[in-house]
Amino acid sequence: MENFIKHIKFFISERNPEDNQKDMKDGIMEECDRYFKESIYLAAEAISELATKRIEDGDTILIFNRSQLVVKILLDAHNAGKKFRVMVTDSRPDLRGILACERLTAAGIPVSYIYINSVTYAMTEVTKVLLAAEALLANGYVIGPVGTGMISLVANTYNIPVIVCCETYKFSERVQTDSILFNELADPCDILSNVRSDVAWQNHPNLHLVNLVFDATPPKFISIVITEVAELPCSSAPVILRKQLNTCY
Amino acid sequence: LSSGINAEWPLRPGEEFNTYLKNKTLRRPSYVIVTKTVAVLRELVVSSTWHHPTDLIRILKLYARYLPLKQSNETVVSNIVRRVLKIVREECSPTEGNAGLSVFFKKDSPKSSVETGDQNELKENICAGIEELEREVENSKNSIIKMALEHITDEVILTYGYSITVRDFLLHGHRKRNFRLVVCESGPSLKGHQMARECAEGGLDTTLIADSAAFAMIHIVNKIIIGTHTIMADGALRALNGTHQLALAAKHYAVPVIVCAALYKLSPTHLCSYDHDAFNKVIGPEMMVPFRNANLHSRVLVSNPEFDYVPGDLVELYITNIGGHAPSYFYRIVSELYHFKDFDLDSETSHDDT
Repeated sequence: MENFIKHIKFFISERNPEDNQKDMKDGIMEECDRYFKESIYLAAEAISELATKRIEDGDTILIFNRSQLVVKILLDAHNAGKKFRVMVTDSRPDLRGILACERLTAAGIPVSYIYINSVTYAMTEVTKVLLAAEALLANGYVIGPVGTGMISLVANTYNIPVIVCCETYKFSERVQTDSILFNELADPCDILSNVRSDVAWQNHPNLHLVNLVFDATPPKFISIVITEVAELPCSSAPVILRKQLNTCY
Repeated sequence: LSSGINAEWPLRPGEEFNTYLKNKTLRRPSYVIVTKTVAVLRELVVSSTWHHPTDLIRILKLYARYLPLKQSNETVVSNIVRRVLKIVREECSPTEGNAGLSVFFKKDSPKSSVETGDQNELKENICAGIEELEREVENSKNSIIKMALEHITDEVILTYGYSITVRDFLLHGHRKRNFRLVVCESGPSLKGHQMARECAEGGLDTTLIADSAAFAMIHIVNKIIIGTHTIMADGALRALNGTHQLALAAKHYAVPVIVCAALYKLSPTHLCSYDHDAFNKVIGPEMMVPFRNANLHSRVLVSNPEFDYVPGDLVELYITNIGGHAPSYFYRIVSELYHFKDFDLDSETSHDDT
């Protein structure tokens, strides 16, 4: 979001201040559409093409929660004729993995479904882990849905490659080393939703509920980041940022 | 059945216990199962007809094969059977087996009751041994929680799953120390919810988080205190699903993992295969995907393993009823608590007992 705003502001500053208002508005709308098309839709296509090359026949791929980009990559790979199995990992309170399951089984891909606590049990069978990122920070940390860090850690312990897919508009200049100082909190009551028990203890004054949304994964757990411009290691994130900076200023 | 044994054991309590073990709907803390097992075995020793301790050993082993041990997955029952067998074997030949420091104290021991052939005295001695075991089991939790003040300071402690021992350990520590507790909800069984509830009601400042947030929260945690289902012979754990990844995250952030467990959970078994063939049990998936999503069940393989294997090198300390130990010391405790001939209770070749 930040990147998009910077881009538009830069675009506006470049325009001839003598243009009339209508032309200016049309120009900005056009630029927005172009940005969406290039940075979001076409980027997803490019990433999918690069990632599909990484998927081989006979793979068992572990994914986490529901990410449109990752599901798209898997569907494209399946359409390209690759034969693989998918393990969908899910976590409370969202339980969005079920949606990914449905989309993948509809396409005919064999799917297993596990809870995030069983990753160590399942990791012996997994060959690759495919994750999506919410943001990639300048020091190489990957911000993803909470639970990404845990999965990357376990995959790293079992020497399974972790592939992160991230469009360049998600790169950020921020730096962070932990998940607590800068995060989002979702509705804490979600943790206790769908639980069949009496409600009286849930409002106890000593009990606090914390529902984190994001998670910062250290770069050493990630094998490769696939973006639409290149496939790079996490530590090269500042290179992309500098390129973006150069085109902006 | 070999000759010399009257194989009528007291059927009623034995059968009741069998049914009790088979019933999976009851929530059973290990402590309750252990006390029941000790009572049933004691009944067996007292009421069955045997002339020599080796007969009794055979009866106990037969009974152990009759119980649904693999089905119920309660390793504490096999452990107690092994303890009782050890007590009987010690009556059989007191100086056989482990020559520990006890050898120095037994120099002037009176003639062993086996040699005098007095069956009543034998029975009394064995029952006294079983009573001592009963007392040890009763006091095991108290022995563990008394050590709370040595291991808890003003800090943030993370716990996982539900364990009565850990809960009381923390509540005991809360009397004098001011710490904050973070509880992971431990899905899909969600045992963490009960832990959070009981700790909050006991006065602890408790924070309940989702399991996926454990990695995020762990860097502000000072130690992790957990319970376990079973301690393996090499100091590894057979604990609730999700403990292994928590221990891995703890190792990454150099957070010590402390396990509170009584010694009746120590089992002389090892992990044989990383596929968890005989080690783990996969339970019903309805906790994860409710059966109303039957459509999904028919097309997707849903796995819900119950246990997790945690290697011993990820655990910093075990707090047991006989004190604190490093995981590497358990091989010694196993050889002191159990007799090597009892390690495998299933074996058909148990005729060479003596």
